[in-house]
Amino acid sequence: MTTHTEIINADMEDKIILGDQEVLKSDLLTLNMGPQHPATHGVLRVEIKTDSEIVVDAIPHIGYLHRCFEKHAENLDYRGVIPFVDRMDYLAAMSMEWGYALAVEKMLGTEVPKRAEYIRILVAELQRIASHLVFFGTYAIDIGAFTPFLYAFQDREEILRLFEELSGARMLYNYIWIGGVWNDISDDQLKRVETFCNKFEVELKKYHDLVGQNKIFIGRTANVGIISEAQAFDYGATGPVLRGSGVKWDLRKNRTYGMYDKFEFDIPVGTGEKGTVGDCWDRYHVRILEMFESVKIIRQALAGIEAGPVIGKVPKIIKVPAGEIYLRTECPRGELGYHLISDGGKTPYRLKVKSSCFTHVSILPEIAPGLMIADMVATIGSIDIVLGEVDR
Amino acid sequence: MHNQIAEFLNKTISGSNAVINLPVATVGDSSITVEAATILEVCKALKASSEFQFNVLQVITGTDYADRIELSYVLASFSKNLELILKAKLPRGDKFNLPKINSVVSVWSAANFQERETYDMIGVDFVGHPDLRRILCPYDWDGFPLRKDYIVQEKYLDMVVDPPEKNNTADQMFGKRLKEELGDPKRVSASWKDSSAGEETEAKDGE
Repeated sequence: MTTHTEIINADMEDKIILGDQEVLKSDLLTLNMGPQHPATHGVLRVEIKTDSEIVVDAIPHIGYLHRCFEKHAENLDYRGVIPFVDRMDYLAAMSMEWGYALAVEKMLGTEVPKRAEYIRILVAELQRIASHLVFFGTYAIDIGAFTPFLYAFQDREEILRLFEELSGARMLYNYIWIGGVWNDISDDQLKRVETFCNKFEVELKKYHDLVGQNKIFIGRTANVGIISEAQAFDYGATGPVLRGSGVKWDLRKNRTYGMYDKFEFDIPVGTGEKGTVGDCWDRYHVRILEMFESVKIIRQALAGIEAGPVIGKVPKIIKVPAGEIYLRTECPRGELGYHLISDGGKTPYRLKVKSSCFTHVSILPEIAPGLMIADMVATIGSIDIVLGEVDR
Repeated sequence: MHNQIAEFLNKTISGSNAVINLPVATVGDSSITVEAATILEVCKALKASSEFQFNVLQVITGTDYADRIELSYVLASFSKNLELILKAKLPRGDKFNLPKINSVVSVWSAANFQERETYDMIGVDFVGHPDLRRILCPYDWDGFPLRKDYIVQEKYLDMVVDPPEKNNTADQMFGKRLKEELGDPKRVSASWKDSSAGEETEAKDGE
């Protein structure tokens, strides 16, 4: 990988030797993609050095959305952290909350009621569908198709409406609490989830045929932005990016948490169906297949859900015993890890978040050289980052 | 598992002084502390060992204590399904004399961004890092926010940081107004409930 300073030095030399002649060297053009750019999905700035249309180097600049959540957490009590956690990956807030609640519960030794566990799985998988639908819609826009976006948001709306009824908010829920969930789900709502699943499964098949099998879409994404298995491990990629590279790894199965061990589902991996293993199309396909798996899980949760309380016994003032824990969960965008260090007080001594998006941004300089500028857009879209989680 | 790893490290790398930290109150994770000077060799050995195969660096956490900075390297093995918190202790140093430790970018590329973040937030100098710049804060920011003694700078590029006139005090004003107008809000709402119930019954009586 060429570093920042080397490129600048290379620019200084304006003449190069070609054969036995000294000729003027054509300059690299520096192009700032972002921070206000529709294809970077937020405030990511990528400084691109281009040689005509070919990207020579890409340097991501992040931090435009940095709020130092970790410092905030050190000054809040354990319950007060949850709304802040929501604001990291605002497209998958339920999954963010679940990881944090699990970490604190494990330290406290709290037992979560069965019904709450089922509701958590239900909302987390619905959230995964909602999040992947945003990816599906915006990715199609990146490639140049606008219509799928409208379809995707129509279905996402139904999930958001349900979440709004459950928690009172459309995106930042504060719904999964330490010890369970805030509010019970009604039978009527469960029935609505079932109707949604039946409808959505048919629709999703249609969407995939419309976009994923489209000749232009395949041409733009297959064999583009390839992340090999070795690269994925080297950079610590997780979630759909890792699975897109052909690695069968899913925390829900491999290091199970919640009640996922009682559920049956497959782990879809990239197979290089349209091109090479680990290209943009594979990552797209993995997410589509994951939505089908999520529907499967939701159906099982609906069948298994039982009556009971939704929140366990938690002391009024939470004091986590001194010690530390590193807990990771499978979020829509990859593995989210909470490293919680407590000194026995009312607030966390240190709460570090391992964000999968942050890790995925660091792969960009590795895979960008050699891509066309337009392929750069396709690649950034395919790793599906949310800047709230990158910058925290 | 921790016993085997500590044994392996002490055998392979002389001077690594691997010690197991058991959880204090029997909850949470154990970790292994090694000598900070040997961190690069330790990481290389753990990645290369056929027994553990720690092929992924998950995260580097820096924690500021009163007497030391503690770095936690969370390693994971996706082939053996293991997880390890590796710790190294450094002196706190000061602004002009940051604590130094060897960079592990040569072992895992993931360390590149993680070390930059640790440098930015905690202030640790990673020797041998190819591009050690701030990552989340602006490049000319002063101080290291996640240190416990950090004070927010008053001015940044001639702009006042957090000016009082821009603080949103709407919540406090609303609460204050409620208290002034309604006195004790709890009592007021209860009396309202009672009076309305009375009115309803009266209306029914009238019918």
